[in-house]
Amino acid sequence: MQLKIRNLEKYYGQFQALSDVDLDVGDDEFVCLLGPSGCGKTTLLRIIAGLEPFNSGTLELAGKDLSTVSAQHRGFGIVFQSYSLFQHMTVAENIGYGLRIRKTAAAEKAAKVQKLMALVHLQAFAERYPYQLSGGQQQRVAIARALAVDPALLLLDEPLSALDARVRNDLRLEIRDVQRRLRIPTIMVTHDQEEALVMADKIVCMNAGRIEQIGSPKEIYSHPRTKFVADFVGISNFLTPAMAARVVPQLNSQAPDAQHLLALRPEDIAVRMTETAQARVTETSFLGNVTRLTLDLGDTTLLADSHHSEGLKIGDAVTVSVPPDAGVWVRA
Amino acid sequence: MTVNSSPDFAAAPRKAGKALAISPIARILYLTSLWVPLIGLALFFLYPLVLIVQRSFVQRDGMIGIANYVDVLSMRHIPGVIWNSLVMSGLTTLICVVLGFMIAYFLQRTHARLRWVISVALLLPLLAPSLVQALGLIFLFGRNGLISQATGWNLQIYGLWGLVISNSMYALPQAVMIIQASLRQSDTRQYDAAMMLGATPWQRFVDITLPNARFGLLSAAFVCFTVTITDFGNAAVIGGNYRVLATEIYAQVVGQMNFNMGAVIGILLLIPTLMAFYIEKVAAQRHTSGATEGAMPVAPDRQPLRDISLGLFSYGAALFLIAVVVTVVYASFVTLWPYRLDLTLRNYNITAQGGYAPLWTSLIVSTQAAVIGTLLLFMLVVSQRRLGRGMAKAVYLLAIVPVGVPGLVLGLAYILSFNVAGALPGLLYGTTLLIALCNFYHYHSQGFLTMVTGIRAVPPQLEETVTCIGGNSLHGLRDAILPVMLPTLVAVFFFLFMRSMVTLSAVIFLITPQLSVGAVSVLRLDQAGFATQAAAFSVCIMAVVMIALGMMKATLTFLERKPRN
Repeated sequence: MQLKIRNLEKYYGQFQALSDVDLDVGDDEFVCLLGPSGCGKTTLLRIIAGLEPFNSGTLELAGKDLSTVSAQHRGFGIVFQSYSLFQHMTVAENIGYGLRIRKTAAAEKAAKVQKLMALVHLQAFAERYPYQLSGGQQQRVAIARALAVDPALLLLDEPLSALDARVRNDLRLEIRDVQRRLRIPTIMVTHDQEEALVMADKIVCMNAGRIEQIGSPKEIYSHPRTKFVADFVGISNFLTPAMAARVVPQLNSQAPDAQHLLALRPEDIAVRMTETAQARVTETSFLGNVTRLTLDLGDTTLLADSHHSEGLKIGDAVTVSVPPDAGVWVRA
Repeated sequence: MTVNSSPDFAAAPRKAGKALAISPIARILYLTSLWVPLIGLALFFLYPLVLIVQRSFVQRDGMIGIANYVDVLSMRHIPGVIWNSLVMSGLTTLICVVLGFMIAYFLQRTHARLRWVISVALLLPLLAPSLVQALGLIFLFGRNGLISQATGWNLQIYGLWGLVISNSMYALPQAVMIIQASLRQSDTRQYDAAMMLGATPWQRFVDITLPNARFGLLSAAFVCFTVTITDFGNAAVIGGNYRVLATEIYAQVVGQMNFNMGAVIGILLLIPTLMAFYIEKVAAQRHTSGATEGAMPVAPDRQPLRDISLGLFSYGAALFLIAVVVTVVYASFVTLWPYRLDLTLRNYNITAQGGYAPLWTSLIVSTQAAVIGTLLLFMLVVSQRRLGRGMAKAVYLLAIVPVGVPGLVLGLAYILSFNVAGALPGLLYGTTLLIALCNFYHYHSQGFLTMVTGIRAVPPQLEETVTCIGGNSLHGLRDAILPVMLPTLVAVFFFLFMRSMVTLSAVIFLITPQLSVGAVSVLRLDQAGFATQAAAFSVCIMAVVMIALGMMKATLTFLERKPRN
């Protein structure tokens, strides 16, 4: 069971919403589509769901062409940010809706609904109506409803964005846990890089209708290939090859060509107070575990993390250094 | 700006709940704008209403008791009249809700072409006095109707079916508006979720569309029922021997001067409205549409079979509505309907029933109602904003009660309250001002709700900003509230004006031999046998209302184009 997308393109009139999208989703893989709003991630999800048509390319599941199968018959599960529960149905009725559509026998249906309510910890709420539940509980019902029909693929459209930070954290782990247990291939759309890093097996980083990079959370964070990825996931300083040679001469790697930039994470930059000032501290922000410094190097500025023990203040003269293997060269 | 003379606002612990410092002028302004509208409601709405309730319990011997009710209910024909009213309004409601849902669905969820035909058709009943539908039906299907004469059929249009058809035409636009609003609220992702679970279009309709529209359908049903059970115009013109409560109350009061009996029937007419109010309130508490902040509207789709059948009903109803009004306009230019159809302007030479004087009276009354109403409602919503939660809710409830009182009952209450010799209230009787006030309070609730929606768009912080910068209440009014509220004020002004031009049921009791209004003239001309002149007169009223509508649209367009800062 593998989802395979090749050369997929999508236009809204003249506007190209998706260009040249290639993507594979393997068995029991959790894939996050990550990107800023308007990057095409939701459009891609809706195309996979069958809720939007596409212009060219192929979309296959286990070798079967999906373009001729309507959303109604794809047998996927979907969960939206807005919960989208049936307001006049109880929790149990909502979860059992897909089974009712499939004319599943009553006993079998009841057993399945029971099992799912246990899975999402909602047994006590079977007879409640959606408006009597909190946002987090409603979203659990929506997830159980999508899982009830044993979907071939689970699609999550920013499922956590409407929830409070605390509930969001709990539900992240819960969704991941359920997905691992049921081993359902899952695609989730999110604009929250932290959410993608925590939950995904594979992150698909998108920008302006294109896939910028696909990789594991670790790869995406420590080996970004483009400036966009290095900037969108985490925080990076960017230096031209000439600046890099001057500011961090201890670096081992060389720029592949003049179009590349050196991406340096603030935590890779060590800052020391010195007499001969290479840079000056122009701003400090307290982030809890570290203090983030803004350094003025005359022709550029750098962000660097320092420990509180170093006690650097605005106006201090400092020198910066990095480990020889720090940083990544990215396409501008 | 007021100078706070007590400098110790930080030092001395304040008594809990002490009001903020406020200048005397601002205070007077605030109190005036709160109490003038409230006193108006008390004098011209609550007082007449209390009086009609009281009169219904005053017996012939002067004692208080239920003898009037016993008398009315034991009159031989009354149970039949009540039954007639229920049957007529029940059928009308059924037709309006079913047809209204089809049209609303057609407009909202399909790629309907030529929607403007339907929109125009649905606008027409709002522009004309409520008896125009009946008038048009008679021109087409009556004894001397165009179609009856052409085909030789005897369609028996006078009576139940004529009344049901004309009242359906009258109430249909309101049903469509309410149901369409409820269809508009749905979130397309509910449909997407159901589709992903395998639901067919029909299953989605049954499981999402219908449940979400339940509340709208219920509201539409109540509105249609209450509007038609109390409607007077159509019943008087096309009811024939089919007697209903609305015509009965008129016969008792104007025909037999039996005010106490009239009061009793008026109270009976309040019952369905009260029930509707209660059930709707209960339903509203249970209702949640499931639509969230970022709801995406449901996009129209194509299903040929569904679209064609809905289209047949929708365009059919629209064309019928248009045909009836066009017939009235046509008849107003015809020499002798339906025998000599050559065109003439003679019908417009109206001398009977006071000629055109009532039309001018209507204009004066409508302008008075619009000016007074807009001013009072504006004062009320502005000052209501400053009230505490409980008080604000009480004012809100008081302001929307008038919607539950049928025009006929309000008119009767007015005649009981103000047609008294010598006393102070009697001074108003026979003036245009009293008719204007009656019209205003008749449509008080709709105007108030529009105002409330309008003032919600004014951010409270904006007013506070003006105050903090150093402006007084008048500055706040001018710079924060008015710029945002202006379109609402225009809409309310013209709403009151247009309704006052066409309403019949309330004013029918308030006219005197010296003072009549346009809508009543149409009725009188028709009853006197001058049907084509009645048509001509209603064309004049429609023309005035259409000009007003055009002026409103033009003003609103102008206001929208003007850059706001």
